[in-house]
Amino acid sequence: MNMQEKNISANNFEQCIKCTVCTVYCPVVPVNPLYPGPKQAGPDGERLRLKKGIYFDDTLKYCMNCKRCEVACPSGVRIGDIIQAARLKYNTQPPKLRDMILASTDLMGSIATKAAPIVNMTVGMKPVKAAMDGVLGIDKHRTFPKYSSRTFEKWFNKNVKAFQESFNRHVSFFHGCFVNYNYPQLGKDLVSVMNSIGYGVHLLDKEKCCGVALISNGMTDRARKNAAINLESIRKSVNERQMPVIGTSSTCSFTLRDEYPHLLGINNEDVRDYIELASRFIYRIVDEGKVKLVFKKDYKARIAYHTPCHMEKLGWGIFSTELLRMIPGAEVTVLESNCCGIAGTYGFKKENYHVSQAIGKPLFEQINKLRPDFVACDCETCKWQIEMSTEYAVKNPISVLAEALDLVATSEANK
Amino acid sequence: MAQARRDNEFDVIIVGGGITGAGTARDCAMRGLRVLLIERHDLATGATGRNHGLLHSGARYAVTDRESAEECIRENMILRKIARHCVEETEGLFITLPEDDLGYQAKFVESCLAAGINAEVIDPKDALRMEPSANPELIGAVKVPDGAVDPFRLTSANVIDAKLHGAKVLVYSEVTKLIKEGDTITGVEVYNAITKESAKYYAPITVNAGGIWGQRIAEMAGARINMFPAKGALLIFGHRVNNVVLNRCRKPANADILVPGDTICLIGTTSSRVPFGEVDNMYVTADEVDLLLQEGEKLAPSLATTRILRAYAGVRPLVATDDDPSGRNISRGIVLLDHETRDGIKGFISITGGKLMTYRLMAEWATDLVCKKLNIGKACRTMDTPLPGSENENIEEISKQTWAKPGTPHKATIGRHGARALNIGLKDGYDTSLVCECEEVSVGEVKYAIEELDVHNLVDLRRRTRVGMGTCQGELCACRAAGMLADAHQCTERTKNDLKNFINERWKGMYPVCWSDTLRESEYSQWIYSGVCGLEGPETHNEDNK
Amino acid sequence: MKFDTIIIGGGLSGLVCGIKLQKAGQKCAIVSAGQSAMHFSSGTFDLLGRLPDGTAVENPSEAAGRLDKGHPYSILGTEAVLKYADEAKDFFAECGISVSGDARKNSWRITPAGERKPAWLTLGDFTPLASKDEKIGNRALIVNILGYLDFNTKFLADSFEKQGTECRIAAVRLDEMERLRKNPSEMRATNIARVMDRDGIWEKAALQIKELIREEDVVVLPAVFGLKDASVVDKIRETIGVRTIFAATMPPSVPGIRTQMALRSEFEKAGGRFFLGDTVTGSECRENGEIESVGTVNFGDIRLHADNFVLASGSFFSKGMIASPSKIYEPIFGIDLNYAEGRGNWFDGCFWNRQNYISFGACTKDGLHASINGNTIGNLYVIGSLLGGSNTLYEGCGGGIAIITAMAAADSILNK
Repeated sequence: MNMQEKNISANNFEQCIKCTVCTVYCPVVPVNPLYPGPKQAGPDGERLRLKKGIYFDDTLKYCMNCKRCEVACPSGVRIGDIIQAARLKYNTQPPKLRDMILASTDLMGSIATKAAPIVNMTVGMKPVKAAMDGVLGIDKHRTFPKYSSRTFEKWFNKNVKAFQESFNRHVSFFHGCFVNYNYPQLGKDLVSVMNSIGYGVHLLDKEKCCGVALISNGMTDRARKNAAINLESIRKSVNERQMPVIGTSSTCSFTLRDEYPHLLGINNEDVRDYIELASRFIYRIVDEGKVKLVFKKDYKARIAYHTPCHMEKLGWGIFSTELLRMIPGAEVTVLESNCCGIAGTYGFKKENYHVSQAIGKPLFEQINKLRPDFVACDCETCKWQIEMSTEYAVKNPISVLAEALDLVATSEANK
Repeated sequence: MAQARRDNEFDVIIVGGGITGAGTARDCAMRGLRVLLIERHDLATGATGRNHGLLHSGARYAVTDRESAEECIRENMILRKIARHCVEETEGLFITLPEDDLGYQAKFVESCLAAGINAEVIDPKDALRMEPSANPELIGAVKVPDGAVDPFRLTSANVIDAKLHGAKVLVYSEVTKLIKEGDTITGVEVYNAITKESAKYYAPITVNAGGIWGQRIAEMAGARINMFPAKGALLIFGHRVNNVVLNRCRKPANADILVPGDTICLIGTTSSRVPFGEVDNMYVTADEVDLLLQEGEKLAPSLATTRILRAYAGVRPLVATDDDPSGRNISRGIVLLDHETRDGIKGFISITGGKLMTYRLMAEWATDLVCKKLNIGKACRTMDTPLPGSENENIEEISKQTWAKPGTPHKATIGRHGARALNIGLKDGYDTSLVCECEEVSVGEVKYAIEELDVHNLVDLRRRTRVGMGTCQGELCACRAAGMLADAHQCTERTKNDLKNFINERWKGMYPVCWSDTLRESEYSQWIYSGVCGLEGPETHNEDNK
Repeated sequence: MKFDTIIIGGGLSGLVCGIKLQKAGQKCAIVSAGQSAMHFSSGTFDLLGRLPDGTAVENPSEAAGRLDKGHPYSILGTEAVLKYADEAKDFFAECGISVSGDARKNSWRITPAGERKPAWLTLGDFTPLASKDEKIGNRALIVNILGYLDFNTKFLADSFEKQGTECRIAAVRLDEMERLRKNPSEMRATNIARVMDRDGIWEKAALQIKELIREEDVVVLPAVFGLKDASVVDKIRETIGVRTIFAATMPPSVPGIRTQMALRSEFEKAGGRFFLGDTVTGSECRENGEIESVGTVNFGDIRLHADNFVLASGSFFSKGMIASPSKIYEPIFGIDLNYAEGRGNWFDGCFWNRQNYISFGACTKDGLHASINGNTIGNLYVIGSLLGGSNTLYEGCGGGIAIITAMAAADSILNK
């Protein structure tokens, strides 16, 4: 008889033994008393919801999906997933126009880049901000990230694509919406760093937004469509071309790896291990002695590293910080882990603005106290939030590497 | 009945606070009698609270016991109307597995239809769509009007209504003696375990509704009823695996019913004969647990990987008619004994046999006899008068009547108390504050239960509100609720003992199934109570309950 | 990724071991699958409160010599136990955690249920009692935060009254706290502490409490102050002006969480790497049976290599051991465990009796080295509550075992 030998239920909330540790580490609980907290919203509520959908509580929308509850849980319960899955399953209200706009990062991006100067100017104007605040419910304190006038993809195809074939080793780059529409420079940095260590960089056949914002705004059908397209391209890259897929955004990587199976129910098992952050990829090949990094002799910087929530969940902050610590002139301080409060589109919503800022406050205070030269961080929305809320610039570790590496010498060393 | 009488004089005394006694008290009270209901422990502590909580369609008995099946389906339809907040209309499936004889299905359906049970053969694929947790290897399925019923709620609602009709209820009061004048029972002597006082109560009729323990009450009167104690063990799982009652379509056997009940589901039962002397001390053996799991997995394979919260056992109060060692083929039929005609003892009747499903009919029969003896011509109205709380079943509607923004705790309260939830103060933050987080039981609900529902300790509170019935089995809520009881009862020492008894009562159901997460939970509870709180054993132990 | 020592488990034991090694110059990593049992701390660490035969212990350092040979203290020897126990006080002080207590004489703590239990080290928040029946004062004012259900004022009052202390129960109400009530599950220790920690609010609370005092010579408060910074506790004491005793609450424990955070931060400040929310999935061995590396869920294909490994993964709660219906096993290395066969022998039917399963755990044949299939593993140590040989709850020695075995393992590694 072998029954109950491994009673790890598919209903993973069963493993919750009600110790309440998750609630201690939830960033929303201290600032928004309307939120019932992860234990209540997650495993506790789930038992009632399984009884009848009527027990679904609208206040679950206050969950930012940061997964800090999961990191803290001693029982391995996927609390954040349970809450998000419940929202997707039981919430019957259609998404608001505002949410649809915020969630459609790639659609908005492709329109906005075409008219970038006008869009950037318009969304920055006070009357427009007031209208967005009043009509749409996008908080007026928020500054939209600026759109680039040329997408990363365009730049890549025109300038460096052909050159990539000259390398012996290759990776695919999941650039994400941010790199493509708002900040192509990060993509350019990634290409130069990878090229310098002897890797050719390629785009996926077809890349759509990872879908994180669609998921958090309840638009799962569109998220699933994006996921299908992305996974098809990723499979081609991994299986046919033997190219792993790297990214520069912790949230995109996390979504592709874990939210697809956990929230969208899409199996990515065959390629999941081949999707990772560039910092992890580079750390590993350096650690294995496969490549060498040669840094500029005169580079000096005091860097404060902020661990984004999804990075915390991935457990990959170590790779970014260890990479940064390899820079001889860098003085790296890892900030005490604290959510910045933005959580993607969450903080842009008028109803969440104050909560969002209150959540981030301890982080901003830490940064202000430390007075670094800049903050390093693997997440673009954290970057917006920290830049909006402090005086400090935020750079992706890959951009820091690009600045600190002697690219020519590194290329030489890796030939 | 109009003349003035003393406080200890009634028209009828009902002994036993299970569902039969509660139902009889309600029926008698509704017909205008002055009723005294006496229970030695708490309401619903016996067989009433220790079964599947299945709203039988009668299908299970259709092949072997047509009369029971007919009673079941009739009462099933009545309970759906009068006890809406206690009943969940889930539907039921009788599935045939490859190892079962599919030939039984035809006979089963035919018998069901003959008994008036709407049994419908459906495609196994449709059955799986209806209940995805069912064993996908099933080869046949029959849909029947099974459902779930919460026996604690049902008993409580009957008692509430009896009280609303003037009945007096004494819990923790044990009948120590029947007062006999000549060949007539004229009253009872009662010992109250809380006040530690004895008292006498008088009535022209005493109804023995003591279930399995009714044998002893009858003995006090000088009559003999041979009860047939048949133990049935069940397992409670941590959450609902199924939303439709799952039965095996075969001759009744072990572990062939899986019932969703409130936030959990339960599989049962086993059946074994136990000596009458053991009926007060039921425990579940490792073999019974293994047997339940082995068979349960066949009904719903996911049970193999679902956490088990606890195990418990009840005793079927069957009246022995033959020496069948399994106790299964005995009739579940209602036994109404007029001891005047049977044994020459006047003023004493026994209502026994039957089952949870037919409690109302049992109460009706008993009350009819009481009325006949008292020359009262009032007709029974329990079949179409909703129980308190069941006047309205729409949770959304009820909550909107009272609260602008009902949260899950409000809705959970309505789920448990139906329309009576309107009487529960949940206006401010203090009242909605949660005591039990697993089941979402608020301070307001606990207060209501203590004040209105005859709650004397934490175990009683659990039966009325589900405090401590969730995943953690009372780990933190027990202490919170104990604080509230200490306030209400103004006795700290008693409350502390009560807390210890409660924790121990929870443990009794846990240790037979204590591995994996349940063991983790137990260790955590040990840390909290034996470690952090530094508590040691209580002075006295309560008997364990479901 | 290469370390000198990898510690599996980030609770009290793992952190003490990690800090000691890291401060001695080692490069350490701690892999912790979620937060630890420190979150449910009683506010004290116990060393030994009772012998297995039920004899109450006054002098734990002496009584440790009277334990069975399988007990972790017996494995280390009485001398070592005393040495590390003394070292522990300085250790915590260096970590900025204030503790008091003496390994040669138990003090007593007041439990949330008003009971009194032997204690060794008491966190600065709490007031250790010199004897079991010490009277805390002539008149006590027990103050709760209005609506906070995890602090049982009645139980406390009842127990103080037994010692002849006259008790009065009161509650404070703060507008800032009322905000929490919008949510039914927010009145828990840490939520209250977060509000109380804000400047101005603890002060307001303290002044309200001061106002309530009539003739009382002692004030009793729930330990819901100073989640991040213990100084709030002292400031409250100062403001109230009357002797103030903090009583432990039901979990979560504010002082316990603060201590856990302080230890983790000390470890990271010393250069240690703390991987929270990660689970070790398996290991690779060298030819001699020693552990070469471990893999984790988050690290995936990147293995964690080290010279030494310390298993501080705890007992059942934290899945250091897992029970199935038929057996108990250690899930990472499959190390040898001592436990009774047949689950009928794991439990007592009464919750309050000694439970066998609490004493199950790793058998360490040679010092604190783990064994697998009877073979001692030279570079794998077991510390803390995963160790068997003691019914820590009954004997009141869980804290001591966690701290002392951690220190002993660290020394053993350093002296290699």
